[in-house]
Amino acid sequence: MLSRTAENLYWLARYVERAEYIARTIDATLRVTALPAAYIGKTNEWESALLTAGVSESFFQAYEEANEQNVVEYLSFAPQNSSSIRNCIEAARLNSRSVRTALTSEMWDTINSAWIELQEVWNKGTSSREELAKFLRFVQEASLRFDGSAYRTMLRNDAYWFSRLGLHLERADNTARILDVKYHVLLPEEEHVGGPLDFYQWTSILRSVSATTAYHWVYRETLKPWLIADLLILNDSLPRSLASCYGNLVRNLDQIGVAYGRQGPSQRHARGIRNRLEHSNMNDIFQHGVHEFIQEFISDNSRLGEIITKQYLI
Amino acid sequence: MRLRISHTTTYRYEPPATGVIQILRLTPGSHDGQYVAEWQIDVSTDSRLDMHEDAFGNVTHVMTHGAIEDLTITVGGLIETHDTGGVLRGTDERFPPSLFLRQTSLTSVNPAMENFARELRAESETDALGFLHTLMTQVNEHMTFDEDPTNSGTSAIEAFGGKRGVCQDYAHIFIACARSGGVPARFVSGHFLRSDGTVNQQAGHAWAEAYIPDLGWVGFDPANCICTTEAHARVAIGLDYLGAAPIRGTRYGGGAETLTVSVKVDQAGRPGQSQWQSQS
Repeated sequence: MLSRTAENLYWLARYVERAEYIARTIDATLRVTALPAAYIGKTNEWESALLTAGVSESFFQAYEEANEQNVVEYLSFAPQNSSSIRNCIEAARLNSRSVRTALTSEMWDTINSAWIELQEVWNKGTSSREELAKFLRFVQEASLRFDGSAYRTMLRNDAYWFSRLGLHLERADNTARILDVKYHVLLPEEEHVGGPLDFYQWTSILRSVSATTAYHWVYRETLKPWLIADLLILNDSLPRSLASCYGNLVRNLDQIGVAYGRQGPSQRHARGIRNRLEHSNMNDIFQHGVHEFIQEFISDNSRLGEIITKQYLI
Repeated sequence: MRLRISHTTTYRYEPPATGVIQILRLTPGSHDGQYVAEWQIDVSTDSRLDMHEDAFGNVTHVMTHGAIEDLTITVGGLIETHDTGGVLRGTDERFPPSLFLRQTSLTSVNPAMENFARELRAESETDALGFLHTLMTQVNEHMTFDEDPTNSGTSAIEAFGGKRGVCQDYAHIFIACARSGGVPARFVSGHFLRSDGTVNQQAGHAWAEAYIPDLGWVGFDPANCICTTEAHARVAIGLDYLGAAPIRGTRYGGGAETLTVSVKVDQAGRPGQSQWQSQS
């Protein structure tokens, strides 16, 4: 396979995953901000939404303050925000058009019709909360359809594995970002624990990775910050946990390595990260600092992205 | 290097045993030089197989079974390894290295071995790595590989005196002497891809790891007189053979027990010899 094709497949999956993640972030933030201020405290949730989307800096170059209207606009439609949902879908469609023959018709259909709908229905943005909810739903469903059609129709060869690499790398990055922005909420501090503020904040973290029900299935307990961190970092049965993403990354890289008859730095680097996750436990992570752990993970993860790019995509 | 490993253990109880409990340390873990791509355990009968981790972090399975005549346990899979010059990174270390200075009955020393270790230690002065390398060479020269005189319960002292033994005895002597020279050392059970192309082996392999402050744990294989390479697949560790044994167990009732082990270690993807079929 040409490096170019691999690159398109990889970024296609990354952009679709990113669009879904941004939609989830907006959705979770809308829910939190719908609550009375006494429940959620004085923090500006829209600012933290920008932080988790990693676009805070560029946002404040254009706007003075963050509120629902301008953040939603910026995250969803702004042409100047390279990670806005619109730009993600456009980039995904551009990538899939250049590798049209490497995709199944179901996958192409999904991306193409999402792009068409974006042009025709959502061209002017959304004017009410109801419309916004519809839009977010549309984005999440497009991503589900894309993922499902890849899973169901693609031949299991390097094309499939490269697209999975993009998906899991992006997903790990997203989960880590949420933890990074919200880590202060997860830190057990005496005056906080158990208050309504924490409860809603924690629920919103879980909601942004669609794990609220999963949490109760796994722990059968009220929301506890260290258990949430455990779920999102170490529990490999949760598809969006760091451990699960790395289980998949390691497997896909191994399959690529076997198919090409050669292992390289990306295989070793991914295995190293997975080993560290496998040998970690929550007590140690809290002791050494969740923030440091996550920071290190984020830089390791983007390092893996660079290594994959160097080894396969250019 | 990708190793395809298959390890079969067959027990035959005559007359049948009324109950069997076995602890299996047959499941390898991943670390920086080793990635387990596939692994599974097959047991020939329906039985309970509970997974745990022991104190050292080895994955263990406890197998319990009622009345039984014969039992076959097959484990196998694919392990991707790469050469780290014997240095071990990314393992789950749960104890301070000094724990592995502890002598056990299989790894205790007698005065002869103590002298042997002391002389080597004095020669290499403060260079612990040099000491271990000389020790490995000396043990390898002192011993002759011979399957007959020793068994799984032979101690380092007996094997050292008899000058004959298998990889396990080499490892025990190495560990006993290293500890007596003040270097933490531990026993490793695993598999080894032989360089002569022999795929079928009669048993798994065993070697030792020793701790050097600047490097961490380093693998020494005194039976082959090398530091561990990509041909080594590491399965379990312990203070001595008994702590890392692939299978340990007990049984109720029954009489004689016959045990056969066969191990296959091969490089995956190595083209086999193709044979043309011809008309007969």
